[in-house]
Amino acid sequence: MAHLLTPGPAALARHLIGMRLALMRNSLRGDNASNLYTGVSLGLILALGTIAVAVLWPAQLPLALAAWLSGWIFGPLLVGGSEALRPEYFAMLPAPPGRIAAGLLAGAFAGPVPAVNLVALLSLPVYGWRFGPAGVLIGLVAAVTTLITLVMISRVIVALVGLFVRSRATAVAVGVLTGTAIALCSNGWAPAVALGVSDPAAWSQRLLRALPSGWGVAAVEAPWPLGLAILAAGVGVIALLLAAWARLLSRRVVSAARGGVPSRRGTPRPFPVTSGARVAAAKELRAWWRDLVRIQLLAVAFSFAVVTPLLLGTIGVWAVVPFTGLIAIVMAAASSANLYGADGTALWLTLMTPGAERADVRGRQLAWLLVVGPAATVLSLGGTLVSGQSWAWPWVLGLLPALLGGGAGLIVLLAVTSLVPGTDPHKRGGNPLSTGADETAETSLAWLVLLAVPATALPAAGAILLHPWAGVATGVLTGALCAWGFGAIAYRRLERHGIDLLSLMKHGPPPETGKPAVADLPVRHRIGVTICYSLAWLPLFPQGLVPMVMKILGISDPVWFLALHLPPIWQWPTIIFMIATGLLMYGYAILIPIRLGSSSPAPTDSRGPG
Amino acid sequence: MPTALRAIGLRKAFGDHLAADDIHLTVPAGSFYGLVGPNGAGKTTTLAMAVGLLRPDAGRAEIFGVDVWRDTVRAKALIGVLPDGNALPERLTGREVLTYLGLLRGLEPDVVAERTDELLRVLELHTAERTLVIEYSTGMRKKIGLAVALLHAPRLLVLDEPFEAVDPVSAATIRTILRRFADGGGSVIISSHVMALVEQLCDHVGVISDGRVVAAGPLAEVRGTGSLEDAFVGLVGARTTGTEGLAWLTS
Repeated sequence: MAHLLTPGPAALARHLIGMRLALMRNSLRGDNASNLYTGVSLGLILALGTIAVAVLWPAQLPLALAAWLSGWIFGPLLVGGSEALRPEYFAMLPAPPGRIAAGLLAGAFAGPVPAVNLVALLSLPVYGWRFGPAGVLIGLVAAVTTLITLVMISRVIVALVGLFVRSRATAVAVGVLTGTAIALCSNGWAPAVALGVSDPAAWSQRLLRALPSGWGVAAVEAPWPLGLAILAAGVGVIALLLAAWARLLSRRVVSAARGGVPSRRGTPRPFPVTSGARVAAAKELRAWWRDLVRIQLLAVAFSFAVVTPLLLGTIGVWAVVPFTGLIAIVMAAASSANLYGADGTALWLTLMTPGAERADVRGRQLAWLLVVGPAATVLSLGGTLVSGQSWAWPWVLGLLPALLGGGAGLIVLLAVTSLVPGTDPHKRGGNPLSTGADETAETSLAWLVLLAVPATALPAAGAILLHPWAGVATGVLTGALCAWGFGAIAYRRLERHGIDLLSLMKHGPPPETGKPAVADLPVRHRIGVTICYSLAWLPLFPQGLVPMVMKILGISDPVWFLALHLPPIWQWPTIIFMIATGLLMYGYAILIPIRLGSSSPAPTDSRGPG
Repeated sequence: MPTALRAIGLRKAFGDHLAADDIHLTVPAGSFYGLVGPNGAGKTTTLAMAVGLLRPDAGRAEIFGVDVWRDTVRAKALIGVLPDGNALPERLTGREVLTYLGLLRGLEPDVVAERTDELLRVLELHTAERTLVIEYSTGMRKKIGLAVALLHAPRLLVLDEPFEAVDPVSAATIRTILRRFADGGGSVIISSHVMALVEQLCDHVGVISDGRVVAAGPLAEVRGTGSLEDAFVGLVGARTTGTEGLAWLTS
């Protein structure tokens, strides 16, 4: 009676592609659709940029392709790697794991990201044009094999994380790797300068070709028999990755998802007998210690903060070392900005307990300070002592309390004003590092914190410029004010609008919001706003405010600051121009959505309960 | 007779879908009230609006005469709620959840410790001392949710599907606890689609279908001469299917 025939590989792949496309069609409503269009437009700009690199600066092509590889590797680690087709859906399908893995792989290609990446990889045949028709042919084949390899690597990493990140140690390890990678992406030029990447014969160029992203370049450049051999080896690697992935998947679907809970635990310590904010802080501290997502994000923050100054140390710049702890505070704030979204609908208990809103907000602030504060203070004091940069003392001592207080205030404020809904913790899937929240929204929230927290320290910075030690008093004062004031706004808002936050997490956004959102803008402005948000920091901070501070302090080492490389007469105008550009970009990105958002009709969302 | 809960014209739309359409309910104090209806009828939406967890588009709700949306804090002190499918403080153990919420409500520490201990023991959650709530089974989640609702000894319990996924032994325990609570003067509202259970436990029922109350009152009045199940099928206008089609299943 039972139907024993299972679909063949081709049919299975076709069905899974169809299912993936159907899932995408159904999720393309309102904000999701707009975010997708924005993402695809940005991705296409980057892809065309990669082709431009192949035409104009061919020597840098391996580096550009390595950037795409890093996106496939670290994207899923940072934002959770959304798996539209979960292997668990097909666990009961009577087919061998290899066939299901191949089908899932086919499904994984049926999306916008691989398509955009394929456009970027067309840089390979374009580059091959320099080597004649054979180069173009090899480049075309290499584009396809490289795309498959990149997608496979990403899938294997998601599978590995899902299976093996089950303890604090592994979560910290993944966090440290990610933090180091971000540091390398933003300041990797420093050791590269120290090692001499600009010399094409240097080993770093060979290293870039040895990465999976560089095999295509190597194959195009090699004589054609060797090129074909490289392509064949690439196909072999794909087969190996597919086999490994199939085994990981079959292990994953039979191992219970644990929702990111560390594995080994003793009997928990008794709950402290206290009340109000302190009992909420005790709850929150347990969450920090028992949630692998939070542990991993903290590891990212602190490893980025520690690695960045060391990278700059390779070119002899030690001036950043005293600020290690301050960088850690800002990064840790950025990764804690969605506190209520990450806890999901557990908010109902706070709302149903009379007067608990204030205790919960204050408790979360207290817990965050206890988690981040001591380590950041030790790093700040230790970094300043060890580096011997005694000029930095007033800066470190003034900015430390300002940033700690600013961070503690802003994270709760943003958590209640800009909540990004995710999946409730007990309903999350196989990836323990994913919260199921919309990645674009979560990333922009993190960017907002990266800007806003340093802004709270501006009064302290100004006071330090006036008198070194006036800054310390100002820092303590503004820090306390920010933590107290923003916290007070946050709990008042939670008291009045907590129900709306709960509805947002349970039922999605209400249909008639007048809320300005990037997603509601016309495409032209949406792309502009996204670009401004992502790039405005560059002129404002590293090219504007930092050289300004260096010039005021009389540090003459120009490093990579454009203004300091110019003749003295142009230095101040350049600095002011950079700061103005950065502020204008932020102004545009913040004001345009507010102006246009109020008049545009918001998309409707009709998700209701059963 | 004083009322424990009164819903007056509650209405809620999700997009084009009207989940609750002008709901009027009166739950007498001291009654054991069963809210029944087919899947998707609007039971959960109605209860969430009645206790102050979902803002209605129109209408209002009163608990012992206190307006839920005007005098929120006083209303909340009177009720214990078990919503369906909401998260809890997932990274705490069962004992920690009860201790935390008890202390947060300002109960005396020794009272919290005593009640936590008793609730865990009676609901047979005390064997899972090292298990975080996120690792609980569905039935265990229902039981810890019920313990949370009972912890502060409220006057009215509002329980959404309290027996769903709970094993028969625990269900019997919960029935006994709720009966004792009602006999001691407390009021209980449960939602369910198990008619036999409602018939056995409740003295009042309300039937919701397509977001509207189609019948409400004392159990005997609503069910008439037949069983509640027959009355329910008649009220919601459903026709049991399952005899047609599916020929391939038996061939």
